[in-house]
Amino acid sequence: MNSWNFLSILITLMIFLPIFLIIYNFNIESDNWAHIRENLLGKYIFSTLYIVLGVSVLSTIIGVGSAWYVTCHEFRGRKTLEWILILPMTIPTYIAAYAYYDILELLNPIFNWFRINIGIKETMMVESFLIYLIVIILFSFVLYPYVYLSVRASLLISGNRLIESAITLGLPSNKIFKKLILPSTKPAIIAGLSLVIMETLNDYAAVEYFGISTLTIGIFRSWFGMYDMASALKLSSYLILFVFSILITEKIIRGKERYNNINGSQNTFSKIPVKNKKIFLVFILCFTPFIFGFLIPFVRLLTWLLYSSFNFEDMNIVQISFNTIFISLIASLSIVCIAFTINFVKNYFNNRIVRKISELAILGYSIPGAIIAIGILKLNSHINTSFNILIIGSVFGLVFAYGVRFLAVAWQPIQSSMKKQCASINHASRVLSASSTTSLFKINLPILRKPLLIAALIVFIDVAKELPLTLILRPFNFDTLATYTYDLINQAQFFQSSLPSLLIIVISFPAIYFINRNTRDEL
Amino acid sequence: MMKKHLKNLVILHILSTFLLGELNIYTHRHYESDKILFKSFTNQTGIKINVIKGSADQLIQRLKSEGKNSPADVLISVDAGRLVRAKTLGLLQPVFSDALDQNVPKLMRDSENYWFGLSVRARVIVYAKDRIEEKELSTYEDLADPKWKGRLVIRSSNNIYNQSLLASIIEHNGKRKATKWARSVKRNMARKPRGNDRDQARAVANGVADLAVINTYYLGLLANSLKKEDREVASKLKVFFPNQDNRGAHINVSGAGLTASSKNKKEAIMFLEYLTKLENQKIFAESNFEYPLEYQNADSEIFLEWGSFKADKLDLSILGKNNLEAVKVFDIVGWE
Repeated sequence: MNSWNFLSILITLMIFLPIFLIIYNFNIESDNWAHIRENLLGKYIFSTLYIVLGVSVLSTIIGVGSAWYVTCHEFRGRKTLEWILILPMTIPTYIAAYAYYDILELLNPIFNWFRINIGIKETMMVESFLIYLIVIILFSFVLYPYVYLSVRASLLISGNRLIESAITLGLPSNKIFKKLILPSTKPAIIAGLSLVIMETLNDYAAVEYFGISTLTIGIFRSWFGMYDMASALKLSSYLILFVFSILITEKIIRGKERYNNINGSQNTFSKIPVKNKKIFLVFILCFTPFIFGFLIPFVRLLTWLLYSSFNFEDMNIVQISFNTIFISLIASLSIVCIAFTINFVKNYFNNRIVRKISELAILGYSIPGAIIAIGILKLNSHINTSFNILIIGSVFGLVFAYGVRFLAVAWQPIQSSMKKQCASINHASRVLSASSTTSLFKINLPILRKPLLIAALIVFIDVAKELPLTLILRPFNFDTLATYTYDLINQAQFFQSSLPSLLIIVISFPAIYFINRNTRDEL
Repeated sequence: MMKKHLKNLVILHILSTFLLGELNIYTHRHYESDKILFKSFTNQTGIKINVIKGSADQLIQRLKSEGKNSPADVLISVDAGRLVRAKTLGLLQPVFSDALDQNVPKLMRDSENYWFGLSVRARVIVYAKDRIEEKELSTYEDLADPKWKGRLVIRSSNNIYNQSLLASIIEHNGKRKATKWARSVKRNMARKPRGNDRDQARAVANGVADLAVINTYYLGLLANSLKKEDREVASKLKVFFPNQDNRGAHINVSGAGLTASSKNKKEAIMFLEYLTKLENQKIFAESNFEYPLEYQNADSEIFLEWGSFKADKLDLSILGKNNLEAVKVFDIVGWE
């Protein structure tokens, strides 16, 4: 085993350690478990399932539908739609939730009428149903871009040929979609969807506000309400099991149906023209997700900004913005470096142990941030008792935590492009015994410049939005835009909170712009 | 020249940090008033204050994980229950200070001086002026009466304020009666619990329900909000202090303790004394519409409007002791 392999295994294990500590503690006995199983578990599981199912269905419809029209059709405004459809991704679920927080209040007169004329019980049922519906719609409209991006990328690769042949055969548009596009983009849909589901499960603030008891809420209730870490970990195990089963399904489906990697040239990408009568309809269809997922929350925040009274002299908002950009940059750079290095080692030396073990490092993304925090705190206390040092409370600790959670985000694009573009070169350079360092820096790095940049940008956005890990692990006097927003919302300072919320969204704009440009140019 | 100047500055900075010390605070309080007071403490003493804000639960976890290496000197929470928990976990140490003994009434602090109250909160009933007459209201127990069916709103039981209220009811009436109470109150709710105390007040103002159980300062915040709608909400509501003919209204404290790991003990004690000083109480508690420790003498306009009240004399440590029991009762009756 050479030092490259050794280093990769070491880093992987370090990143896996907090996750291991969570899984390892599943079997601790707990006094309250019987109580939880009897009174709560069913409720937690069902409400989680409702939300996840609803969000999955809706975000798939929105994501696939918009990707299909925007990528494979030609109509006016298509180019603009193509990139504004990604924008909802910049809005964290908790900000979307509070931008829509009073939507239920608008319905109060109807509920009041219902309560008096029909009955309290019935009203409660309708109301709960509506709450679920609102949360599902809310999540779907800000999370569908994960499906959209993944399906669009897949269509850009294979859609061209499919459509060309279908048009030659004279198939109508809806048939092309059903018979060709849907089956061929299935792996991409599932890949995007698994991200949507993980983001849904990660949410705590929004479901708490709407009073829905999901598993994530249950974990907190056991951990803090009952002060029962063991039960919290047991509940986490249910959640992780759930997520792992999704991931495994995804792997199986992806494994079976590999993309047909035929490089169509972009110039000849033939698009289905949209008939004049339908243009308006298609445009509205593709514009709606943008309106609900981005425009409404964004404009609401802007109007609140007008009402807010920021004292610009004593303002630390500049400092806080700087903190956010600083920590997001450091985190995305280090995470991309690690993902790049380990993937290179895997690809270049093709060591079996590294290949197997490296899978462990990317589990973190499937676990809600709040649970990762438990793992990090546990790790911290072990290191503290053995070596007398703290890993939390420093920028390093925070970046490490982000690494545990977000490595997978950088991992996927880097892994797939390295497989596609560097595998044979790496093999050749190894046979020709070029040094591994030369290969890494002189060959892989320049070739993968674009996917690396995209990976870094996605991680950047994710870190800038991150809340639970930052809240619990940050250093003294350290606020990010996300924690500051959360703090102000906690005090119901909605007007004041609009500025940091908008800044979170705005600092992600350049990243979104680059992501869009580069995914389009890639072909 | 410039370089030398810079060097001097750096030395001065290092010296000042060593001589005056700093103070590291973990706090659950996120109010403007705290910021103002922290700043004036620094101005008066030269002691720099570093803050990490978070929920008391998470901060306690963090303290525990950091053990004796924790940089924190003071833990501030928004309820007594969490301080009791921190004490039980061995995260706090007792403080003996005449000033604190004098500033903080016995009821508002730990019997062994592990923690001290900083402000007082009363959990009361607010009701719609136009739909309910004061004489219809009496006690927390009365909220279980079928006459309130579909007429009351209260927030989720995930919240510590409700857990503490039920913990006190368990202590006063026993677990069996408390369970029955929680079950009946749940039955009387006009809607499933959601939102915070402010949202409950809003619901009453908007006619969703006739009364709500909330902490008083939320009403103060609404009445003084920048938003016109908030002020309108407050104008439609009135405060009622329950159980005035027997044990008194349920109160809790926001409080602080010196951490077991503290490396700046002297400064930390100075800080606690500072916050509990009578004149600072006005800023610390009252500008957030919480009651000062001497709540009986609070004379801000809004307190006068709400009227004076009799508070439950229950040992606040009991709230921490009964917390788990309370959470379980909520689970059993299905109060989400």
